[in-house]
Amino acid sequence: MLDQEHAAFIQTGVSVNLASCDADGLGSMIRGLACKVLDDGRVAIFVQRTPCRDLLANVERSGNVASVFSQPSTHRTLQLKGRDARITTVDPCDLAIIRRHTDEFVQEVVPLGVPEAIIRTVYTCDPLDLAAVVFTPCAVFIQTPGPRAGEAVA
Amino acid sequence: MTPRLETIRECLDGVIPGLIATSDREGMPNLAYLSQVQFIDNEHVALTYQFFNTTRQNVLGGSPVRLLLSSHLTGAQYRLTLQYLRTETAGPIFEQMKAKLAGIASHFGMTGVFRLLGSDIYRVLAIEPIPGPTLAPPPPVNYLTALRRANRHLAGCGNLAALLETALASLADEFGIAHVMLLMHDEGRGRLYTLASRGYAQSGVGSEIPVGAGVIGICARERTPIRIGFMAAEYSYGRTVRDGLAADGQADALETAIPLPGLPEARSQLAVPITAIDRLLGVLYVESVADLHFGYDDEDALVAFAAQLGLAILHHQHADDLADETPPVDEAAPTPAGPPLVVRHFAANDSVFIDDDYLIKGVAGAILWALLSDFVERRRTGFTNKGLRVDPRIRLPGVSDNLEARLVLLQRRLEERAAGVRIDKSGRGRFTLSVARPLQLVEG
Repeated sequence: MLDQEHAAFIQTGVSVNLASCDADGLGSMIRGLACKVLDDGRVAIFVQRTPCRDLLANVERSGNVASVFSQPSTHRTLQLKGRDARITTVDPCDLAIIRRHTDEFVQEVVPLGVPEAIIRTVYTCDPLDLAAVVFTPCAVFIQTPGPRAGEAVA
Repeated sequence: MTPRLETIRECLDGVIPGLIATSDREGMPNLAYLSQVQFIDNEHVALTYQFFNTTRQNVLGGSPVRLLLSSHLTGAQYRLTLQYLRTETAGPIFEQMKAKLAGIASHFGMTGVFRLLGSDIYRVLAIEPIPGPTLAPPPPVNYLTALRRANRHLAGCGNLAALLETALASLADEFGIAHVMLLMHDEGRGRLYTLASRGYAQSGVGSEIPVGAGVIGICARERTPIRIGFMAAEYSYGRTVRDGLAADGQADALETAIPLPGLPEARSQLAVPITAIDRLLGVLYVESVADLHFGYDDEDALVAFAAQLGLAILHHQHADDLADETPPVDEAAPTPAGPPLVVRHFAANDSVFIDDDYLIKGVAGAILWALLSDFVERRRTGFTNKGLRVDPRIRLPGVSDNLEARLVLLQRRLEERAAGVRIDKSGRGRFTLSVARPLQLVEG
């Protein structure tokens, strides 16, 4: 579902965002810390548990998620949907992925005028509060602003 | 504790783009970036409608709406629950958002892509802070104290010229605003003319902008503050004035000989209408070369300041119509010596040239020509506003003629030209003409 190029894109210094919704359709979302594409094609998004307890509860309830990946310098944006999301623990070796991702993201946005200290505050990572939301992308959409926005690529 | 929306407004300008979550009827969530959120009041915001996308489809389908907003000052994050009310495609909110979006689009290389189709108005149902670390905010600026002091300065002014000077000085001293222009509204001609400025190499007094052109012109047309945090080429006044001219085919009527003041690289712009008793009197315009220099608090403070300034302007315009009881001292002026000053007048547009250099046109040009003619014919130096009002040579445009403002304009142009002709106030509703060189008046 996710081709190699898209898989590579979402694992560079892009913003990683995740949303789910409750039974009434009310969404909840969080700015994720990083993501990883697993060997079986599933995507794992790393989040802090405390700020998104309701998001995680919704994931457990329905398994439906939407995730948006955007590169600030180019606005290139991709949205992935999943119907089988579940919550897993985070492997300690994934901490290096999170650290590297945050560093790359800082390099992306500081030239756009956001102070580094603010970015690192928003993307603070408490290793004891981490969770991964893992899902199989069932739809992939281009969301880069412009004429192709909303186009399904898979 | 639930924060009030007005206390987290820095989250709305999109420095850290916010996110909007909706869902479809099957319970599939959708997530998208927001380019801006417009503050309306503590219960209402507006979002941009730029494309018919999944978000909009979901919203129109009745989906609940959630926003995630982040402060670029503290890193604090908030979740807002919204209820869609309606879409506006014209009017003050739409124009405010359109101007702001143009700046954002330019900043992010999206000019031509970001286009405002409508302003979606939402009710804010809930605001929840998201748990997480935050940084201490920058030291606050006390706008109320600045406003109180600035308004006190205005109260001490005895006439319109002093009021304008004091207003600009107060913005510099109390608000730290270095670049400012004050433009008056010429209702009859649909123009704004610069009457005072501060922080520029050339004052630009007398330069004009059509109502509707650029940040200043749109502010005047909509009578609403327009604030841009990033440079937007299509809202720069140089370009918009040119475009405006081409569009309305009135290039000959606009003052173009006097260049507009302004920072060529202004990145932050804020224009605030000056109104009084439901009339647009003018526009106060401030700018900065820094991105995001003016926030919502600056806008609030300047709107409040402009309200006070508007009433004061109105007061001085009227007060100057009531001349002092003492008659004007109209001693015959001594005959000046030296080489003659050639003053040429073109009746078609009342333009006046001094020694072949353009000085002014329109009503102010007609006034000057009348004063100089009286001086040459009768050595007259004392004049009153009342007298000008009934002078058939001047043809003031009706009740809201801004006579006092036009006299200030003329006074400043003469001062800047320093050619030996000046006018000075000599009392309420009266002024004197001083001529330092012999005059040679030439018609046409």
